[in-house]
Amino acid sequence: MLSFFITTPLIVLMILNLPFRSLMKRIVFVVGLSLALIQAVLVALAIFGFWDIYSIPVSPMLRFNIGVDNLSLLLLLCNGMVVFITMLVSRSFIEEGEKRFNFTSLLLLSFAGVNGIALARDIFSLYVFIEVVSISSFILICFNKDRDAFEGAFKYIILSAIATIFMLTSIALIFLVSGDMSFEAVRAALDNSAHTSLVLMAIGLFLCGFFIKAGVVPFHGWLADAYTSASAPVSVYLAGVSTKAVGVYALIRIVVTVFGFDTPINKVLLFAGALSVVVGAIATLTQTDFKRMLAYSSISQIGYIVLALGIATPLGIAAAAFHFFNHAVFKSLLFVNAATLEIATGTREMDKLGGLAQRMPVTGVTSALACLSIAGVPPLAGFWSKLLIIIALWSSAHYNYALIAALASLLTLGYMLLLQRKVFFGSVGDHLARIKEGEWNLIICAIILAAVTVGVGVLFPFNLCKLIIR
Amino acid sequence: MVNLNTILTIIFVPILGAFLLPFAGYLSVRLRNFLALGLVAVSFLGSLSLIPQALSQSPLSFSLHLPFINFNFSADALAVFMAMVSSLTGLIIVLYSFDYISHYQNQNEYYVMVVLFLGSMMGIIYSANLIFLYIFWEITAICSWRLIGFFRAENDVLRADKAFLVTFLGAIIMLIGFIIIYQQTGSFDLAVCKEYFLASSLPNIAVLLILAGILSKSATLPFQTWLPDAGVAPSPVTALLHAAVLVKIGVYVYARLFVATFPIAVFWHAVVPWVAAISAIIAAAAALIETDFKRIVAYSTISQIGFIFFGLSIGNEVGIVGGLLYILMHGLAKAGLFLCAGIVEQNTHTKDITRLGGLIRTMPVTAMAFLFCAFSVMGIPPFGGFFSKLMVFMGGVQSGQFLVSFVFLIGAFMTVIYLFRLFRMVFLGEAKISAKEGSRTMVFSVAMLAFLSLLAGILVMYPARFALAAVKQMLGLAQ
Repeated sequence: MLSFFITTPLIVLMILNLPFRSLMKRIVFVVGLSLALIQAVLVALAIFGFWDIYSIPVSPMLRFNIGVDNLSLLLLLCNGMVVFITMLVSRSFIEEGEKRFNFTSLLLLSFAGVNGIALARDIFSLYVFIEVVSISSFILICFNKDRDAFEGAFKYIILSAIATIFMLTSIALIFLVSGDMSFEAVRAALDNSAHTSLVLMAIGLFLCGFFIKAGVVPFHGWLADAYTSASAPVSVYLAGVSTKAVGVYALIRIVVTVFGFDTPINKVLLFAGALSVVVGAIATLTQTDFKRMLAYSSISQIGYIVLALGIATPLGIAAAAFHFFNHAVFKSLLFVNAATLEIATGTREMDKLGGLAQRMPVTGVTSALACLSIAGVPPLAGFWSKLLIIIALWSSAHYNYALIAALASLLTLGYMLLLQRKVFFGSVGDHLARIKEGEWNLIICAIILAAVTVGVGVLFPFNLCKLIIR
Repeated sequence: MVNLNTILTIIFVPILGAFLLPFAGYLSVRLRNFLALGLVAVSFLGSLSLIPQALSQSPLSFSLHLPFINFNFSADALAVFMAMVSSLTGLIIVLYSFDYISHYQNQNEYYVMVVLFLGSMMGIIYSANLIFLYIFWEITAICSWRLIGFFRAENDVLRADKAFLVTFLGAIIMLIGFIIIYQQTGSFDLAVCKEYFLASSLPNIAVLLILAGILSKSATLPFQTWLPDAGVAPSPVTALLHAAVLVKIGVYVYARLFVATFPIAVFWHAVVPWVAAISAIIAAAAALIETDFKRIVAYSTISQIGFIFFGLSIGNEVGIVGGLLYILMHGLAKAGLFLCAGIVEQNTHTKDITRLGGLIRTMPVTAMAFLFCAFSVMGIPPFGGFFSKLMVFMGGVQSGQFLVSFVFLIGAFMTVIYLFRLFRMVFLGEAKISAKEGSRTMVFSVAMLAFLSLLAGILVMYPARFALAAVKQMLGLAQ
């Protein structure tokens, strides 16, 4: 059953590319939309129904091991949700016909890839799916074929290629030690091999690869360019799920399931995480482009996830997973807001905007919610994940890191208020007096995501926490 | 269970009801306004109905069992006292808003935020769980952010951001303090924490961190700067935030945590009064030279909050009773002052007191109300402020801290000077700007507050008895 998550999008993709292009072009949008929605609903039902089922079935149809645990479900859920949103947003940006057909095909390919990452249970297929997602992301970034987009995509390709080399080398080294690829076998082999320098090197290379893919400081150079130059729906997708899946999710998966926690690994994760948190937040403060600001804020938030992972306690991992989910929600929401703004005003320069909450009430309110959620202001979802991160840090005696995490959330609030002040809060300039709220599809996206953020935040103490803290 | 429902009603009817207000606003403005008033009234009446239970031997405490965190409430005399004070002043301020706000844009947002604010205030007051306390605490911060920036000019929004950032900084530091408590006791539940710290006192580092949050919310030195700047908000908002409710959150949480729940090391009883004293003197001095009407009143708030901290932190019964009474008296009187400032500002279009004068002839009721409230803040008998100030000083002297009491005496003297200066420059002398009296609802609201200030002084035995009962409960003494 689980393999359907991977095979269905692939088969749909093939069918779409069979003859009858003119028919397919008409239905492609609906097909993509419903596929993503079905996945999101299925997974959400699974979460509420039988979350505790932990199964590792081996599918004979495809020759790799797949399995699902809570972490995978979380990624599957994010993937369904964000792709659904991306499809809806793309309606306003990608013109109907050939372009939208190509866009949807690429998105479906990437969709299948992310599902593969979620379900893969051996290192090599994990790697293959990471590449599937990365390659479709390259093309999506430069989908509009303008100069900036090519530059962003090119940077991403080069750095990704380096990451690929790191990962492949590391996989080769691990294969040398273990002779098998599945997570369990590799884990057993690594445990027995008593950390020779070879294994340590493999682990180091793997971590570097993931850091590049996730955009953790000091490997963050590509991220801001790629996010900013891509067209609006692609930014939503990249920020919401694509880079999170290839970088952050894979990192969590490999560290938790394969490498296991170890003092040097923890130290590296904690340090890199804290560095990202602070550098990302400070860099955000100086940005003037709406999407660039969000991109740097992503770096900072990814830092939080890595930091939480580095705590290496169950609470820390739960906090990392929870923040992962929250970030997918509120960052997608902000990119949807950015898309709405771009259509309405034709600019992303924040200095040229102001007071738009009056003209665009839904965008104004939802963006304020997202901003507060990122900053970790209760009762929104972001507060709980940050609270868990800080509690986990403090109770494992990482006092300095806890302090950094807490004070950085002040920086976060600072830049988010800056964004609010420049764009939404404040009085409307004359040149903006005729701005109207965005189209219905963008409004729906914003409302859905805002509802998730508020809902998760308010309901968390009631029962959602069961999902996160098993 | 009836009482549990009462508490839930008090907290969540305004919080959830607030989000209905914009829809009501589309139907009819009057409907929205009265709905807002009604929601706040629910809190007030609900708290009123809790009085007998709160004064009895066994104050209410409930928990709603949730999987991760228990949602605990307690409705002891302290909570009910505080809830009465805030919802009563809140009620009058909402009434005053009807006319004041009707001239401006974004009215729907205004009412949502005010009612949400008062609802979360009830949440802070009744919850006996640190995490929920923190959540409601931050909801009030969100509301005050939107409310301070209500006029949307660049400067307004900047100052709204400043207020938010300063209080958020304090709150996040306080959160770490809570986490230290959690780490030691394994619970955020105040009742459990209280058991744990029966014998030993709270670690000083936790006290310090939590104190940072409290001082930032109550705008006390060194976090006071956001409060005068936040005077750009509409007057009912400044009354709500600076006088009656928001700044009292910090004071209340101080009473809740450091008086009622956790024993703290003895030297804090000397340190906190001094911090409060310095804050009171500096703010009073600033009020003496300031020329902006609302900034003077705002500085006066900072100064008076110092007195409240003095009473609460001095560590004896009389002082604490005085501090609690002070919360009531100051809330009523200071709200009156801010609302008077609002009437003057709206009718003369200036806040600069050097350009005002002689308004007593055209605005007699406002002037008298202002004078009454000012008398109460100064502490002139028989107004309410006199008794609270008296008891605070009695507490100070009883504890033997003569020096700090003397400093506060100077502060009280300065209060008299700057309030008389303000009154003289605005209401006496020759008229520079002609203005007419404010609208009927607005004048009625300030007159009401002035009257209540006087009444609270004449009938001081009732609130005092209540406060005494609260203190006995807090300190665990037999009644």
